[in-house]
Amino acid sequence: MKGRYADENIKWIPALIGLVILLPFMLKGITFSYKYYLYILNTIGIYLILTVGLDILSGYTGLISLGHAGFMAIGAYTSAILVDQVGLPFGFSLVLSPIIAGCFGFIIGFPALRVSGMYLGLTTMGFGFIIRRLIIALREWTQGSGGLAVSSPKLFGYTFNGDWANYFLVWTLAILSIVASRRMMKSKVGRAFMAIRDSEQAAEASGINLAQYKMMSFFISGVFAGLAGVLMAHTNHFISTDHFDNMLSIYFIIMVLVGGIGSIYGAVLGTIFIVLLENLIVPVIEEWLHVLFQIEAGDIESLIFGLIMFLFIIFQPTGLYGMWLKIRIYWKLFPFNPKQRFT
Amino acid sequence: MKKFISFNLTASIFFVLGCSGPSGSPGISDNEILIGNVQDLSGPMKELGKLLPSGSNLYLDYVNNNGGVHGRNVRMLVEDAQYNPQKTVAVVKKLIEKEQIFCLYNVIGTSPVEAIRPLLEESGVPLIAPATQSGTMSDMSRPAARYIFHTDTGYDIQAGILTEYVIKLDPNAVIGVIYQDDDYGDNVLKGIEAIEYELNISVQKEAFQRGATEFSGQVMNLMKGGCTHVIIAGIVKEPIIIMKTAEAMGFSPQFLGISPTMDHRVALAAGSAGEGFIAANFAYLWDSDNEIPNLYRELCEKANVPVAMRGMYHYYGFTTAIILVEGLNRAGKNPTRKKLIRGMETFNNWNMAGTQPITYSRNDHAGAESVILVQVKDGVQQTISTWLE
Repeated sequence: MKGRYADENIKWIPALIGLVILLPFMLKGITFSYKYYLYILNTIGIYLILTVGLDILSGYTGLISLGHAGFMAIGAYTSAILVDQVGLPFGFSLVLSPIIAGCFGFIIGFPALRVSGMYLGLTTMGFGFIIRRLIIALREWTQGSGGLAVSSPKLFGYTFNGDWANYFLVWTLAILSIVASRRMMKSKVGRAFMAIRDSEQAAEASGINLAQYKMMSFFISGVFAGLAGVLMAHTNHFISTDHFDNMLSIYFIIMVLVGGIGSIYGAVLGTIFIVLLENLIVPVIEEWLHVLFQIEAGDIESLIFGLIMFLFIIFQPTGLYGMWLKIRIYWKLFPFNPKQRFT
Repeated sequence: MKKFISFNLTASIFFVLGCSGPSGSPGISDNEILIGNVQDLSGPMKELGKLLPSGSNLYLDYVNNNGGVHGRNVRMLVEDAQYNPQKTVAVVKKLIEKEQIFCLYNVIGTSPVEAIRPLLEESGVPLIAPATQSGTMSDMSRPAARYIFHTDTGYDIQAGILTEYVIKLDPNAVIGVIYQDDDYGDNVLKGIEAIEYELNISVQKEAFQRGATEFSGQVMNLMKGGCTHVIIAGIVKEPIIIMKTAEAMGFSPQFLGISPTMDHRVALAAGSAGEGFIAANFAYLWDSDNEIPNLYRELCEKANVPVAMRGMYHYYGFTTAIILVEGLNRAGKNPTRKKLIRGMETFNNWNMAGTQPITYSRNDHAGAESVILVQVKDGVQQTISTWLE
């Protein structure tokens, strides 16, 4: 009998795991500044856990969120408080904090039953503002806007100190998140999410409980964002309200859009692309502009992000992943590919 | 599978080739000292972010043209972190690991500096003159405190000095504070709460969000509270709008400001509403007749610095660069990061930077604990006090 996941191409998984394990060693071999690149890779890992969750909500279920930095903040602050103030082990907090963030997602799911589109976007954005104000108000635990120092992650007696150790923790959880979300989206739950996205009326007529699945989607997305927050807090050792401003939520949306909304791999590609663009490519562009035209670095980053988003929406709405699929099919059919399919 | 094995073999070769770090003190070559500066060039503080490094470079160019520090030129790399702690961590990692800087200097913002404490602790890179006046910078119980050399009087101490100054002038004064609800305001509140307890007074507190442009609610509350003196903990545009709003509402208390409000543009833009405004200041006025302000103006003329750029923020970059260069000088002919720290710790009431006298020791990196007060009279800032502690 054919298994549920028999159709899925999983050959890449061992290669990916091999690459993830060897990448830091390769970087150490190539460059003295490998710690800087490891930090960027860790940032990619943390962000992609969140964007994968955001894609489940926005790409698969069709519910927009402009407040995911808020869920991330809940995960980060909850874990910092549970571990450093309550004294719970990190392993316990790693499970509990994302669930608490997910519960907030569940609560935010209520308005999603009544509003949609731009109005839902504004509601979730408001949620982001509320969380920031809440963090400032609860200064007894959060230290207000002064920020909170956070301890290193500790699992099974091992303390993850520095970018090298953090890398393996972050990417283990990132790969697990990718695999889990892929599996989830291929299950009954994922199909229900997609049915809701395509037509709420048709989904309801097919017996899908809209309220239940919409709130479940917010919960799952909140769990992923909360997990990203936990990792961010414990690997950076410091969090403040400035870490979670609403621009970060927009930034996550850009990652998902550029990668290809409605595809887990798209969210992964988009996150890698945007973080590398911001940290490695934009500084080079700024330097060129300075050398060639004496233009000072300034808002060039926002300009580039805005331009990229604009170009992708107009010319490549399926994102990087869609582009990759087209290229793959093109070469598969070459030289018998009908021209109009790829124009 | 073959491809997979060959790929992993190649990767393993890179691993075997992995080598140790570079020898010698990072950022120091025969003819250059490389330092890293993190500013906000495109975020909420960009109006300051461009002025500070420009002022610093004015002095560093002067030093380099006069033989440098022990024969080495000082070169400053400026990175933009948009006042974002997460980005600050990324660019500081880049400066330390990739650019191999000798030390950090003038990193802007309280939460960005707090965010890089673990990095300073891990790398042992000193941070000279963080561009924030938060009292937390000189709290020696915090992580990496031994690597941070604060040059300014903390916001908490300034708030205490201003409140005490008001009470001395008028024991029956009703004081209010209007503060930015972030790490800056937090530190001001800490000072206010301490002085409330010490003097047994009560101060009315009104908050606003960073970037706010509308203050009528807060001004109305201060008016209702019968405040005779209002301390503003904002930057440049906030005191202007607050004083103009108060004037429009017919409310005319004596306004005072924490040092970020001391920029001369406040007096210029606030017009009649800003007349009489008193601000705490970390240094002698840039246009006063003192040795360092005179040198500053002379170099501004020589370098054709646009008039619009000249002022206290530009001057702040200039004076903190003087402190940095003195520290580098004291680190000796063969500087290391440890020697820089030891050199900085020999500052004892040193007042050659045109600022308040600076003192450091092994257990005290606060640098300064005093301010001078300036008041707007006929649209021009004038010094009205000596150094107050």
